[in-house]
Amino acid sequence: MKVHVDPERCQGHTLCNMIAPKMFQLDEIDGHSSPLSEEVPADQEDKVAEAVRSCPEQAISLS
Amino acid sequence: MSVEEIPLDADRKKNRYEFARHAPEYRHQFEAITQEMQARCPVAWSDTYGGHWVAAGASEVFELARSAEYLSNDHDIEGVRRGYKGISVPSQDGDMQIQGGFLEMDPPEQREYRQVLNPYLSPAAVARWVPVVEELVRASLDEKIETGRIDFVDDLANIVPAVLTLAMMGIPLKSWTVYCEPAHAGVYTPPDSPDQERVRQMQVEMGEHLFTQMAEIREHPRPGLVDALVRAKITGKTPPDMELFGVLLLLIGGGFDTTTSLTAHALEWLSEHPDQRERLSRERDTLLDPATEEFLRFYTPAPGDGRTITQDCEIASTRFKEGERIWLSWAMANRDPSLFENPNEIDMARLGNRHYSFGLGLHRCIGSNVARMVFKRMLTAVLDRMPDFQCDPAGAVHYETIGVIQGMQHLPATFTPGPRLGAGLDETIEMLQRLCDEQGLAEPVTVRKAKAQIGH
Repeated sequence: MKVHVDPERCQGHTLCNMIAPKMFQLDEIDGHSSPLSEEVPADQEDKVAEAVRSCPEQAISLS
Repeated sequence: MSVEEIPLDADRKKNRYEFARHAPEYRHQFEAITQEMQARCPVAWSDTYGGHWVAAGASEVFELARSAEYLSNDHDIEGVRRGYKGISVPSQDGDMQIQGGFLEMDPPEQREYRQVLNPYLSPAAVARWVPVVEELVRASLDEKIETGRIDFVDDLANIVPAVLTLAMMGIPLKSWTVYCEPAHAGVYTPPDSPDQERVRQMQVEMGEHLFTQMAEIREHPRPGLVDALVRAKITGKTPPDMELFGVLLLLIGGGFDTTTSLTAHALEWLSEHPDQRERLSRERDTLLDPATEEFLRFYTPAPGDGRTITQDCEIASTRFKEGERIWLSWAMANRDPSLFENPNEIDMARLGNRHYSFGLGLHRCIGSNVARMVFKRMLTAVLDRMPDFQCDPAGAVHYETIGVIQGMQHLPATFTPGPRLGAGLDETIEMLQRLCDEQGLAEPVTVRKAKAQIGH
């Protein structure tokens, strides 16, 4: 599973980092999200899927 | 409008709803109105407040909020652009209008202001203040802990956000009382109330204090949000003082009432559901975050914002004309069953909680990280120190109208008394002032990364 955060859509709601802190890091200055790795480890798949569903901007996608 | 255009206009506005958000009854009819609009007309024209569209459905609000090229926040005070009237519906009237900071601007100015302030309000920036907030909460509770009686609004939720905001601004903490009452009273006092004169006077004093601080900090720099603003260049120019004043009022208006409202409503609900309260306290490691998001969703302290349509367009299956006003209802979107199962119930463990309470798109609330942090610190301290609190329904005072902020004015409660843990509020505020000054806590996170150090 690969995860991508669309930087144009992300507005720094930070829900992804609350749900899956090992997968999403937040920019120090504006709190926008980026994945710590493109590839999602098996034990993080559920959390990442939940982060996708929880993003108010729907900025996270999986492939 | 020409004769030919009239039937077309009637067709465009065929979905109608009389939407009177400021009326006292609205608060009690909110769920029913939401269900009706979402079933019948998730985007509807209302003749109220000068005539405006109302977007009530989740997917419609989503599409509209993210269509910034067609929806402007601009408040053109001087009538030098397109005369748009900002985010209040009904719009402000009279001579003394103030632009509500960058919330009533469009890019590029809006984006540049946010870039100036982001380093003070990001998650990393906010995390540094946790020890300060914990001290403020401890002291506020210490003032009441031995009596067994507290008003969660007057004695806690009004105090902590106010003192913290001043700390982040670089304004002397002891002046928090100059800001606190007018910030709240300005919102909850109805326009026709006999109290208006008293409130206006307090707002004047607050304004004078703020202006003085701006001038002082410009002359003798002190770190914080005010410093960042007085030194800012927006589109290459130094903004006029009134514009900076508007930004500061936005930070105050955005931060005080809303956090108070969230905290009071959550505590009221937890008092009414002691089994849920116990569960939250016991399972806070996993539940505190989702419960916070759920209280945000259900109570939506800032229920919506207005926009002006910038060009004829079709969005969310509705044809809009340039200049028309539209109200984006975050509060109603948050109760849409298509996104939130059993939307009118609070589920502290709710999954997929992509709520609208901090807005959506470019204008996402810049204080969202502050709000969450302060709420969680207040909530956990109450759960720890007064776990059996009982709110008094007869004493709870909700704002009469929830058109601007869905707030609470008073929330008295009783509890089993406990021990004081430290110094009282005034002494603690003095100590925190020294701390802020010595540690430069109000610097941007790019300058100062470390957490505040409270030495006891």
